[in-house]
Amino acid sequence: MTSATGRSGSRSTAALRALPWIGPVLVLIAGVVAFPAGYMLWTSTRALSAYGQDRGSAGLENFRTLFAIDELGSVLLHTVLWVVAVVVITLVLSAGLAQFLHKDFPGRTAVRLAILVPWAASVVMTTSVFAYMLDPDVGLVNRFLVDIGVLDRGFGFTKEAGPAFLVAIGVAVFVSVPFTTYTMLAGLQAIPSEIYEAGRVDGAGAWQRYRHLTLPQLRPAIAVATVINIINVFNSLPILQVLTGSIAGFSADTTTTLTFKLIRQNQQVATAAAMSVLNFALIAIIIAVYVKLIRPAGEEAR
Amino acid sequence: MKRPLRGAFSSIALLTGLALAVSSCGFGGNNADDSDPNTLSFLAPSYSDNTKSEWDTIIADFQRQNPDIEVKLQVESWNSINDVVRTKLQSPSTTPDILNIDAYSTFATDGQLYPASEVVSPGVLADIQPGFAQNASIGGTQWALPLFASTRTLFYNSDLFARAGIAAPPKTWPELTDAATKIQALGGGVSGYGLPLGSEEAQGETSIWTFGAGGNWSEGDKVTVDTPANTEGVAAMKSIADAGVTQPNPGATDRKDVINAFIQGKIGMIEGLPPVIGMIAQKNPNLKYATAPSPTETGDPVTLGVADHLMAFKKDGKKSEAIKKFLDYFYSAPVYSTFVAAEHFIPITASGTQAMAEDPVVKAFSATLPVAKFYPSNNPQWGAAQGAIRQQMGTVTQGADPAAVLGRIQQAAN
Repeated sequence: MTSATGRSGSRSTAALRALPWIGPVLVLIAGVVAFPAGYMLWTSTRALSAYGQDRGSAGLENFRTLFAIDELGSVLLHTVLWVVAVVVITLVLSAGLAQFLHKDFPGRTAVRLAILVPWAASVVMTTSVFAYMLDPDVGLVNRFLVDIGVLDRGFGFTKEAGPAFLVAIGVAVFVSVPFTTYTMLAGLQAIPSEIYEAGRVDGAGAWQRYRHLTLPQLRPAIAVATVINIINVFNSLPILQVLTGSIAGFSADTTTTLTFKLIRQNQQVATAAAMSVLNFALIAIIIAVYVKLIRPAGEEAR
Repeated sequence: MKRPLRGAFSSIALLTGLALAVSSCGFGGNNADDSDPNTLSFLAPSYSDNTKSEWDTIIADFQRQNPDIEVKLQVESWNSINDVVRTKLQSPSTTPDILNIDAYSTFATDGQLYPASEVVSPGVLADIQPGFAQNASIGGTQWALPLFASTRTLFYNSDLFARAGIAAPPKTWPELTDAATKIQALGGGVSGYGLPLGSEEAQGETSIWTFGAGGNWSEGDKVTVDTPANTEGVAAMKSIADAGVTQPNPGATDRKDVINAFIQGKIGMIEGLPPVIGMIAQKNPNLKYATAPSPTETGDPVTLGVADHLMAFKKDGKKSEAIKKFLDYFYSAPVYSTFVAAEHFIPITASGTQAMAEDPVVKAFSATLPVAKFYPSNNPQWGAAQGAIRQQMGTVTQGADPAAVLGRIQQAAN
């Protein structure tokens, strides 16, 4: 922890001298991060007409309108459920899949490529395929269930809040697994095989080796995968929009789809801006807590 | 030295990713030159697969007669046109000169529109049927030009009626429930009545029922949602859904879904609109169906009427002459009636109605025009009320209390 020059106040001098090199990056960050974020904050304090015309300052009125929405509490709860369920299921499935793909077997490349397909396809497309498969009248799944006599007529899997939300979680896991699997696979491949040999020599069983050797080594990969998945899932609109968009009320909404509905249906652009600020604050807090709890890559003493 | 700096950089990187992911600010680009008074941009929604080609033909014919004026057409789906409008209105250079959409009142009260008298000739204004002209006026000034009208009427499947032993189409709500029950009892995946309360068009179906109970969405310049009559209408809707004689999950069913199911013979009755006639002819010409007045509480006919509008944005005020030439051409009887007939709607000009006397849609729907009640589209609060109805109304079929739901919609409108 000793500084390179050893003089007091040297950090600011060093930063100043580094400025020509990091300056462009700072400008870029200001342009693509600070400005939009600031603009979002600014928007949330303006009185905006239904089509976005600025009618002057609104103070905190937009936030008051937002917190007057009775369902806000349950929407926040849905959001937590949604993020936790999707991220946890994805991580568990991906850990298993990565372990499988790490083994050498004939045709491994083909299987690895196949895993990538759900990721390569557009999320809206993938989700639409599921939505059509589950359609009560023309969906393949419902047709099948009716034909084999399980159901009398098609069940609206995507027409009621509860089942639709579960379907959405399933689809979100389906589209998140490829990326997460590959992150974990990369982590697995970075683990030197000597460790396992040592473990075997010491007489550790397969589960013990996984628990005490693999998992700790995978920690950085898992941390990265988790943070990126949390951000991604938290902000995911298309899946819920396609699957639960036509359901009345807010019974299957997360904060992201609520923002969308505030703009599209309620025509309250200003309230939606306030919602975005809340969204931003929420995810910043979630990530901060996570980073504090499980330090990501390279932050711990080796 | 290493740790804090890396910490700082990784948190900057994290924040970068965060902000990129979270912030969804959009900044629309600029369209090309808008200063030429003879270049008109025209934004229209797509009513059918042919809408774009209809407008293309009209514009090509118009430009042949007026080579100095150029009309740039942009067609958007109904699902996205409101977003497109919101984006375009951010800057005068992208604001369309002529816009075709349902609601005009917020633009009019914000002083963005030309009065109708400045963008069409007096002859065209006089040709528009008075009820529609009034519906396009705020405070005695007409701000928009009704494009065409649509009303609702009961479509029923006469095959299913015969099989269920129903002699005549229902006139009152009890008769409607009764007929729906008999059809539902036929089984085979057939539903009695199609009730679309999903977010697409819940305000349309709801209005037919609240109007049928003697309700109204406005009183003077106030939007009135939670009135006793409206509550009665919504309660009736809830009870037909609770009786289990509608398609499953009415709270999540869009209008297009019940229309399609009706065309496939899977639903006994729906409240249909004029283009459904053309859709049946195209998709399932063998379907045996007939139309009847919408059932109401007492049996006195009343239904929902909707008019979409053309409006002209004022911007720098230099384009009124060119707009007037184009709109006058469009509202001339031959051009106008060809367009309305192709889209299967009801004409709103006297000359157009005359020219279309033999049109099947006009024949089926002309009786509904005199008993049609309209959305209060000249009220700036209506937009928010309509959105809230779309969003909330379906919850009554999932156990919500009609009066409470109407109360919340009223809140959203205020």
